[in-house]
Amino acid sequence: MSAAKVLMTVVKPEGAEPIFKAGDSVRISKRFPIGHFRVPNYIRGKSGVVESVIKPAAVNNEEEGFGRNAGPKRHYYRIAIPLTELWPKYAGSVDDGLRIEVFETWLERS
Amino acid sequence: MNAHAHPHTPVPDPGNSTLGYYEIMETAVRELLVAKRVIGADEIRRMLEVMDSRTPALGAKVVARAWVDPEFRARLLEKGRAAVGEFGIDLFENTELIVLQNTDKVHNLIVCTLCSCYPREVLGLPPDWYKLKPYRARAVKEPRAVLAEFGTVIPDDVEVRVSDSTSMVRYLVLPQRPPNTENFGEEQLASLVTRDAMIGVVKANTPEAKERTR
Amino acid sequence: MTQTENLLRQLPTELGGLDAGPVERVEHEYLPWEKRCHALANVLDIRKIVNTEEKRRGIESLGGEIVGKLTYYERWIIAFANILFQKQILTPDELARKMEEVSSRSSGDTVRCD
Repeated sequence: MSAAKVLMTVVKPEGAEPIFKAGDSVRISKRFPIGHFRVPNYIRGKSGVVESVIKPAAVNNEEEGFGRNAGPKRHYYRIAIPLTELWPKYAGSVDDGLRIEVFETWLERS
Repeated sequence: MNAHAHPHTPVPDPGNSTLGYYEIMETAVRELLVAKRVIGADEIRRMLEVMDSRTPALGAKVVARAWVDPEFRARLLEKGRAAVGEFGIDLFENTELIVLQNTDKVHNLIVCTLCSCYPREVLGLPPDWYKLKPYRARAVKEPRAVLAEFGTVIPDDVEVRVSDSTSMVRYLVLPQRPPNTENFGEEQLASLVTRDAMIGVVKANTPEAKERTR
Repeated sequence: MTQTENLLRQLPTELGGLDAGPVERVEHEYLPWEKRCHALANVLDIRKIVNTEEKRRGIESLGGEIVGKLTYYERWIIAFANILFQKQILTPDELARKMEEVSSRSSGDTVRCD
């Protein structure tokens, strides 16, 4: 068996395939971990749409923050959220929007 | 408005010849790490050389190429990281580069509300205002007001799109090519592209505006 | 939610959406030690001695007052020192001694430069 074939038989690590795809409606989880996190409070509980899957998959940065440099990987997604969804009193155009990368563990289907 | 037209606010100058507390700490940490062979003696020096080669002029070259070469532009918008590699720019590890194209319909702006993520490999180190509270706090909440403070007024029918850089992606704004530049070569075009235009707080200079700021 | 819970929910470095004044276009020429500090950060990250997220966490855990009052690279170098202690790569004692040595060396420089 060639080296390439051997590699293909290896079981894919958890999260190698993205759970969401472009166009999916999602909600950012509303939870409050302590320690280290990269999901700002101002987007928690808000709804948006997956614009794209960011590749490659990566280690959860909440764990990287404590020195984990390898292990199971999941994807980040580029999420589009209208500014009127984030700020109810938003005065600009209704089309104005935020784009932000959010790790898979923070996304819920909506 | 030109990026260089504003007054630079002076920052306290620690330039007296004795070292400050934090500089002493930096020197001590570095020397200890070298002495313990945790890092090599010339690793820092080589890294400084790489950092010094990364300036907004490099980003401006990328933008000018994208303006004149539709195939390069397509590659840049599709896979930013690989496309800037054509300019010898290597992004660390898994860092992705998403290039955001400004059009008649969309104006892009970049910010990092959690720290100061910035496309350093393409533009060098960011200006202080990018790292300070007013910009980081307000760019995601009232981007049009922030843009207006830079003299940039975006019409209501143009969508303002703010990218908050929080994790493994870095962003670079591809500004619109200014009018009356049809006969310009790449180098001339690059001279119209300021750092602030690639952050998205201003537009690229017009040839006329550039003349005025001479 | 109590007052103290709130302190945990928002990292001291998290600013998105807070009230703030106008953007003043402050900038300064990076000082040589600031650039060296940045180079050190890059090298430590590439070598996975201290990765970028650890550095960020190190800065967050300095707490609101220090994050608010120190300048950018002042926060970085303190965070690095703490993380390197935690990883037992450096000890507080050797850093203190080394800093004394660097400091006396630099006052020597002053005399020579003057």
